[in-house]
Amino acid sequence: MANPVAAWIGDRLPVSGEGLKELTNEPVPYHLKRWWFALGGTPAYLFIVQIVTGILLAFYYEAAPATAYQSVDYITHEAAFGWYIRSLHKWGATLMIAAVILHQMRVFFTGAYRAPREINWMVGMCLLICTLMTGFTGYSLVFEQLSFWGATVGANIADSTPIVGGFLKRMMLGGDTYNQATLSRFYIIHAAILPVTIMLLVVVHITIIRLQGVTEFKFEDEREGEQKTFNFFPDHLYTELMIGLVLMVLLSALATIFPATMGPAADPLTTPDVIKPEWFFYVAFRWLKLFSGTTAILTMGFIVFVMFAWPFIDEQIRKRTRFQEASVWVGVLGVIAIIGLTVWEAIARH
Amino acid sequence: MSELDKTTGTSGENLEEHQSEDGRRAFLERASKAAMAAGLVGGYGALGAVGLRYLYPARPDEMSWQYVSEVTRIPVGGALRYEGPSGETINIARQGESGGADDFVALSSTCPHLGCQVRWEGQNNRFFCPCHNGVFDPTGVATEGPPAEAGQRLAGPQGPGHDPCLAPPLESSDRRRV
Amino acid sequence: MKLETKRFIIAGLGGLFLLSLVLVQWMETARRAEEAGLREPHIAVPASSEQCVSCHTEQNPGIVTHWTGSTHAEKGVGCYDCHEAMERDPDGFQHEGYFIATVVTPRDCARCHDAEAEEFAQSHHAAGGNILASLDNFLAETVEGSRIDFSPHSPAPGRNFGLVNGLASANSGCKQCHGAKVALVATDGSVLTVDDFAPDENGFPTNMDAVALIAKDENGKPMMDSDSWPNTGIGRLNLDGSRGSCSACHSRHDFSPRRARQPENCGKCHLGPDHPQKEVYEESKHGIAYRDLKDELDLDAEEWILGETYAAAPTCATCHMSGNIRNGGRITHDPGERISWTNRPPVSLAMDTDINHSIVTETDPETRRSLIHDTWQQKRDRMKNVCTNCHTDSYVNSFYDQYDALVNLYNEKFAKPGQLIMAALADNGLRTSTQFDEEIEWTWFYLWHHEGRRARHGASMMAPDYTHWHGMYEVAERFYMELIPQAREMADHAGGGAGAAVHQVVNDILARPEHIWFEEGAEGAAELIRQQMQDRYGRTGN
Repeated sequence: MANPVAAWIGDRLPVSGEGLKELTNEPVPYHLKRWWFALGGTPAYLFIVQIVTGILLAFYYEAAPATAYQSVDYITHEAAFGWYIRSLHKWGATLMIAAVILHQMRVFFTGAYRAPREINWMVGMCLLICTLMTGFTGYSLVFEQLSFWGATVGANIADSTPIVGGFLKRMMLGGDTYNQATLSRFYIIHAAILPVTIMLLVVVHITIIRLQGVTEFKFEDEREGEQKTFNFFPDHLYTELMIGLVLMVLLSALATIFPATMGPAADPLTTPDVIKPEWFFYVAFRWLKLFSGTTAILTMGFIVFVMFAWPFIDEQIRKRTRFQEASVWVGVLGVIAIIGLTVWEAIARH
Repeated sequence: MSELDKTTGTSGENLEEHQSEDGRRAFLERASKAAMAAGLVGGYGALGAVGLRYLYPARPDEMSWQYVSEVTRIPVGGALRYEGPSGETINIARQGESGGADDFVALSSTCPHLGCQVRWEGQNNRFFCPCHNGVFDPTGVATEGPPAEAGQRLAGPQGPGHDPCLAPPLESSDRRRV
Repeated sequence: MKLETKRFIIAGLGGLFLLSLVLVQWMETARRAEEAGLREPHIAVPASSEQCVSCHTEQNPGIVTHWTGSTHAEKGVGCYDCHEAMERDPDGFQHEGYFIATVVTPRDCARCHDAEAEEFAQSHHAAGGNILASLDNFLAETVEGSRIDFSPHSPAPGRNFGLVNGLASANSGCKQCHGAKVALVATDGSVLTVDDFAPDENGFPTNMDAVALIAKDENGKPMMDSDSWPNTGIGRLNLDGSRGSCSACHSRHDFSPRRARQPENCGKCHLGPDHPQKEVYEESKHGIAYRDLKDELDLDAEEWILGETYAAAPTCATCHMSGNIRNGGRITHDPGERISWTNRPPVSLAMDTDINHSIVTETDPETRRSLIHDTWQQKRDRMKNVCTNCHTDSYVNSFYDQYDALVNLYNEKFAKPGQLIMAALADNGLRTSTQFDEEIEWTWFYLWHHEGRRARHGASMMAPDYTHWHGMYEVAERFYMELIPQAREMADHAGGGAGAAVHQVVNDILARPEHIWFEEGAEGAAELIRQQMQDRYGRTGN
């Protein structure tokens, strides 16, 4: 391709292909040959799937209480392949949240958050929260019964925060209760604010990785003197392509076997007998049932704060105590608690 | 294949083997790259096609009879402006006495020139577009003005009526969504 | 892992993904095929009705929901297209900028459905309002109620009724099926009906004095007389001179053909002790098949043609109104077109009808022939066109033999003798011309109006229990155990020539061979039965 066209473009875009290759083709540590270390790329890939399917859904979705349910119904039942696109989006969200959590667990249990990577851990925490918020707002947009009551309950949980609760709730709902303005708020947050925020955070996340290099691990079965790194391009790219396609096949299978359905339309006058949020909020939902509103909010806030600050807390523990592996035990306890509460909520009717 | 032909000389055989090994590698590389490209284009291309089909209007334009008016309410030489279920505007002009479907002309009232609304002029037996003085005959063919120069005509489906209330014969297009 | 291997894996995964999308395409195609026709049609509210819909969606959502699901909505027929009133319509009024009327009459429907309206107008259904001057209505208006309102004779705690409405039973009973005479309240307290307005052929009133009398409420809306509205009786007498109410069968506001095709629709009126057509049908093989196979009837079909659209079971509409492949799919809105006996009167009559669709009662064969416009055979042939979609000719003919025989038996053994006895009592001054003031008049009424009709209807639609136990058995008991003894008692009581004349009529009847068993015993017959039992079973019955 060394032809006049390339020369012409090269003159106008002063980017050297070699330089670009150099910049992107960073040596990848060898442990990334192990699949579970490639989990960080999975949510990124799913995020792209969500953006593409989300844009497609936005072509037909109408964010007004009078028409929202109808428009989702139209997508599900009338638009060609609408049900498939919607199911991809729904399962993409589920898998993305699962992947984010798995990625975070991997980082946590391998201690990859430790100095000098504390900031990136906190960026990651922000990404987790943004992802969960996107899931919550997205679920509300369908405007079926559970969407409506989920949003209502969510707003009232925010309301029980001391001091700023009322403000938060009114900001969320655009009024004192769920009203005409609420749905478009949720829509803008879901489809514009959070995706852009996530994109920016992902850029920061990856830039920091690039600047610091991926944490290197050494495994016992590695032979001495063996190659420590391999090329990002094309070797690791192929790995990512494989992961991407596996995810597409998985999503496609889930979308065809368990397509997204529609519950009854939102009815502000009747609360359904059983309301449950999406599975990733089961933990919080159960927590809220265990403690009174404000206590629950404050303890949850405290837990989130501890998660944010864990690199520093861990550092202090390691510095000041002899429990060098305390983080593992804390992590195990945390995971058990999360799984326990989730399962409890899943099997309990109320 | 070539090995079968070569039966003499060990050194030559080795050379051949070496060369064929290289060739096999190159072939493998080319084949694997082609297969990969085909796999990627096939998979993601199909997804792209699904996306495009999704964005293309879901229902093909269906036609259905629509009640417009009673025949007796449109005088001979008069016309009625009707808005179809999905917003298309239509001129229905009455030209004959009998009350049958042949009396009526139902044509889009959107001028094919620049989209202004044409109106029926019963006294001149023509459709007239006020924007650039476009004139159309009762069958919708442009006879004067810019649309005539461009050889344009008014769009509009029409067919025979079968019921006094459904004449003028009018079929609505595009019944895409609720 | 070697790069080539990875590339091949990617190729394989790409192919797998492609395959999954092929599956998606297949599911999409299957879904389209399944949903084709099931999808709700696109509804656009016509511009002239947008305002109606926007308010009434809030105020009476049921009306709008019903309409939204109707074919009218699909075809662009909105509220105003039917409720629009002309300036000269006596019941028209201004409502949010539109001049409308509440009651939609067959004349309004006929603007589009002219053929249906014409057929209906010729039918016995359209004449249902004639009940207002008939014997049945004497029952409701006088015997059950009172033709003049009267004062309560003691207080009703908690309620403050001025006068007792003597027509209540007629209003809520008779007229809801037969049709009311729609009335507006007049400023002088009287009511104004079609008789007062004397409408011309376009339905506009010619008597302007009556129009001037119309009482209106504070919004200028003419006040409807609640004795006459709400009413969807099938023979309603409307202010514009038209008769009937299309919504009697095509319930507003979805006007569903589906519902009109189902027997439950007819069952609003065709049931009960005097004409249990609905129950008769339910007991018949036809009704049994319908209950079981309802889902196979394709009741939503646009064209509902027996032998083409469906053949699983017949409903009332199938036989009496709907199209079938043998008649070219022609629907009639005159259910009498295929009925060859009228079982309504005390004595069943063959359905020879004149040019006005009235039954010819002339007995002279020559005159009769000249009067008949449509014979009972023609009507029966139309019905046979329906029957033979599922039954052979010989089967149908034999069924009609059975039916004719039952009607004939009832007529000859009980109905005509009963008429003779009742006439003899009246002619000899033993009963007054006022109905229902003598016990025997109730007896006779039960005999023909309730039990006699049940027997005949049971036979007409294959319900054995209605033919026999609810029918002929009770007719016989009423005749022998009540009518005859009561007539004799009246004759005894009167004595003299009148009494003797009535006795003579009764005795002549009972001397007929079919009645002789009653007075002279039936030992011969009993012996015959014993003999047959012996032959058949080799033992005697007890």
